[in-house]
Amino acid sequence: MNPATTFWQNFNNEARWGLAILLVILLLGVLVPMLSPYNPLVGTNNTFVAPGAVHFFGTDQLGRDVFTRTFAAAQLDIVLATIGVAIPLLIGTLLGGILGTTRSPFVSGLWLIVIDAINAFPFLVIVIGIVSMVGSGVFGLIVGLAAVNWARYAKIARARALQLRDADFIHATQVLGYSRVQVLLRHILPNVYSETLAYGLADFVIVIIAIAGLSFLGVGVHPPEAEWGAMISDGRAFLLRAWWITVFPGLILSLTAIGVALLAQGLLRRIRGEE
Amino acid sequence: MVIAFGLLRFIPGDPVQLLLGDSATPELVETYRQNLGLTGSLPEQFINYTRNILRGDLGKSLQTGATVNSILARSLPVTLWLIVVTVVMALIFSLPLAVLAAVYRHTWFGHSFRIVSSVLLATPVFYSGLLLLLFFALQLKIAPVAGYSPKFPDNLRYLWLPALTLCGVMVPVLARVLQSSIIETLEQEFVESAIVRGLATIPFTWRYLLRPSLAPTISLLGYMIGQLLSAAVVVELVFNLPGIGTSLIVEGVLLRDYPVVQGIVLVFGLIVVLVSFLADVVSGWLDPRTRVS
Repeated sequence: MNPATTFWQNFNNEARWGLAILLVILLLGVLVPMLSPYNPLVGTNNTFVAPGAVHFFGTDQLGRDVFTRTFAAAQLDIVLATIGVAIPLLIGTLLGGILGTTRSPFVSGLWLIVIDAINAFPFLVIVIGIVSMVGSGVFGLIVGLAAVNWARYAKIARARALQLRDADFIHATQVLGYSRVQVLLRHILPNVYSETLAYGLADFVIVIIAIAGLSFLGVGVHPPEAEWGAMISDGRAFLLRAWWITVFPGLILSLTAIGVALLAQGLLRRIRGEE
Repeated sequence: MVIAFGLLRFIPGDPVQLLLGDSATPELVETYRQNLGLTGSLPEQFINYTRNILRGDLGKSLQTGATVNSILARSLPVTLWLIVVTVVMALIFSLPLAVLAAVYRHTWFGHSFRIVSSVLLATPVFYSGLLLLLFFALQLKIAPVAGYSPKFPDNLRYLWLPALTLCGVMVPVLARVLQSSIIETLEQEFVESAIVRGLATIPFTWRYLLRPSLAPTISLLGYMIGQLLSAAVVVELVFNLPGIGTSLIVEGVLLRDYPVVQGIVLVFGLIVVLVSFLADVVSGWLDPRTRVS
């Protein structure tokens, strides 16, 4: 059997659907901006053309092709969300691992308060707060997300590391006289990151919606850049006249989120062993 | 509170310089610095900040000079109304849905419940809000497009559509958690004995199914209201409601008005603390097992 089929068979139905949706969107995200005859950023005189054979998703108030823009945005949003998940994932896992293995109740307790405080706070509100201070745009967005999101990973990683700390094989490393750093890097973290990684996929949905939401509010990616939230916000003023400017980017954003959510659900079910 | 305090200090570089640009005179910089509470060492600043908050002084807007308190007095009630209406609506939707989805979980109803709730969860509120706006306000014209009226029965006219939008993220989560705890309750012996005794449907559903199953949902509701506030910020902007979310973005963030941002973020934190306290009280009333002895 070839490896591709085995790979496919390793997934359950939910994960398969999710992966299929994602692959289609990713493929279109790469191909459409490359092959499209329209420039996603430069306006033309053909404003407010209804969806049809020439412009699949119609054109917007500046005469730009919504189809091209939607899939150009797919690239940007998916890349941004991946960074927005990866940085907190790394920081959170490392910090959680350290906190879970430290023997000082003071350090651990103090950090736990910080982590719980950040987690209890309305996610978007605190990101908005940070972005407003750091400055909006792609950089502010990533800083804001990273500064808030790591806490949820740290919480998961800490809980897992606490369980591991009393496992026999960790006791064995102490008997063998390994240093703490060595134990942390070679034995604790490899067992922690599978959990935070699984959560990362579910978190991807939250992050990609947050990125679009912040851009929608005007504190994220700025026009004329093609970004789903910014496009939806653009179309707001013309909702009755040209519904397609708003509806199509949102549709693809929702589909992406559904795809990732399905994949995450399917994989999680598999990890837990329920089929 | 610490988070709100930390916000200004997070900024790389000098926030005052950032605000005023390079051409600012030293006197102007000093005035701003005093306004923002950025004089003295860090612990001193923190003590000052705490003292002001305890006195109920959240500072003044840099742009308009209005106190943050007056901004809050104007916009906080709108947001609280929105939250209350949303929670009431979400419970009205979730309770029957969860009972039905638990009892009929192996039929088409249970399956479509799962699919629809997944789809709703993956739909951002600003998108679903705009779609609802397009449908109810612009096509059917049964809801106002924007605006608000602070009087009680009148304001519901403006609030029901935003609240419905927020239900799109609340109901799936609430109904799912409630559904799974009802399924657990269904397997208990006292439920079986109630069925054997032939109780009428409504008292049976409330006393034997819902009440023992509600506690986890209520504690979740407490946590969810915190996250609901995030969504409420976005929804307020979609529907042009003059709540604290709109104030935060329009008067605070977009104008770089730091005291306003700080004050509003602080209020968000207070709401979260209050709500989680209330949730504990209510779940203790519903389920005596969770009471702390």
